[in-house]
Amino acid sequence: MTKNEFLLQLKNELKKNNISDLDDILSEYEQHFAFKLADGYSEEEIAAKLGDPAELASQFIPNAQEKKYCGRKVVTVIGMIFADLFAGAFFLMFFIFAAVLGIVAVAAVILGICLLGRLNFNDLIPNMPYLCAFIFAVSFFAFAILSAAACLYFVVFTRQLIRSYKRFHINVIASSSGKATLPSLPVYPLLSHKFNRRLRMLVLSSVTMLAVSLVSGYIISAIIAGNLEFWHVWGWFVK
Amino acid sequence: MNRQEVNLNTQYKKGVLELCVMSILKRRDCYGYEISEYLSKYIDIADGTVYPILRKLKSDGLVTTYLSEDSGGPPRKYYSLTALGLKTYEADKKEYLSFAKTIETLLEDEDHDKK
Repeated sequence: MTKNEFLLQLKNELKKNNISDLDDILSEYEQHFAFKLADGYSEEEIAAKLGDPAELASQFIPNAQEKKYCGRKVVTVIGMIFADLFAGAFFLMFFIFAAVLGIVAVAAVILGICLLGRLNFNDLIPNMPYLCAFIFAVSFFAFAILSAAACLYFVVFTRQLIRSYKRFHINVIASSSGKATLPSLPVYPLLSHKFNRRLRMLVLSSVTMLAVSLVSGYIISAIIAGNLEFWHVWGWFVK
Repeated sequence: MNRQEVNLNTQYKKGVLELCVMSILKRRDCYGYEISEYLSKYIDIADGTVYPILRKLKSDGLVTTYLSEDSGGPPRKYYSLTALGLKTYEADKKEYLSFAKTIETLLEDEDHDKK
């Protein structure tokens, strides 16, 4: 393709796509030819390196994709308000759940300390030998660690969920007004390998501890009480 | 490759190229051909792609143009980054670098897991 062929083809393609300022665009390409010719390239070489005129012309179409979204911004914003209310309720619920997990962890720790220290406020803890109380205290501590880990993960998870939703929100509004969108964020939290590994180890060991202490607590209680249903022997659940 | 993939790819490339063009213009004002030459030294793209990008940047108000005859030849159209362009560039650069870093970590993790 010669210089004139290239420019003519480009001009026709630009016209086809209804692009304004034809001369301005064409003069840039003319200049490009001029510079390259001065460097000793042939017209064919230059045209080939410039690329396909039809392809180039299509790149001058101002944001072809985003155009069709214009004028829908109001609808989108109203829709997003409802979506925000709905999602907001979920996030609130998630945070409350995380708070509940945290409170459970604290309560389990307090109960464990009461069992260990033989603190029995208001006669709330049923009567049992100290060995059994010790083992059950261990299981409460394990349970506390488990709940605390769950609480921590849930907080991190919810936070990432909110960030991801926020990005989604911004992108929806941006695309409805024809602006560029940002890459979306993942829903699950991106934790480092080290953090993940530690959390996994913590959960695994506390689950093991919980299971072992519960089972051994039951067996030891049953042996000491001389009855499989040791709670009857010690008079639990009776007022 | 289906059509949507092609589309996404060109959109993506366009965004990155816009960033590259702005980075060149941040250093100094250039005319179109200079930018095209500079970019093609590093990236394998059709020479003609730079001009649609420059035009888009101009219509977005990120660059302005002026004519200058400093070298004695025909007047050349110089492109210059606007204040908005500079702001956009800094923000987009930060965004892109953190995105690229995330991708890098992700891909390296995958390599690591294979071993």
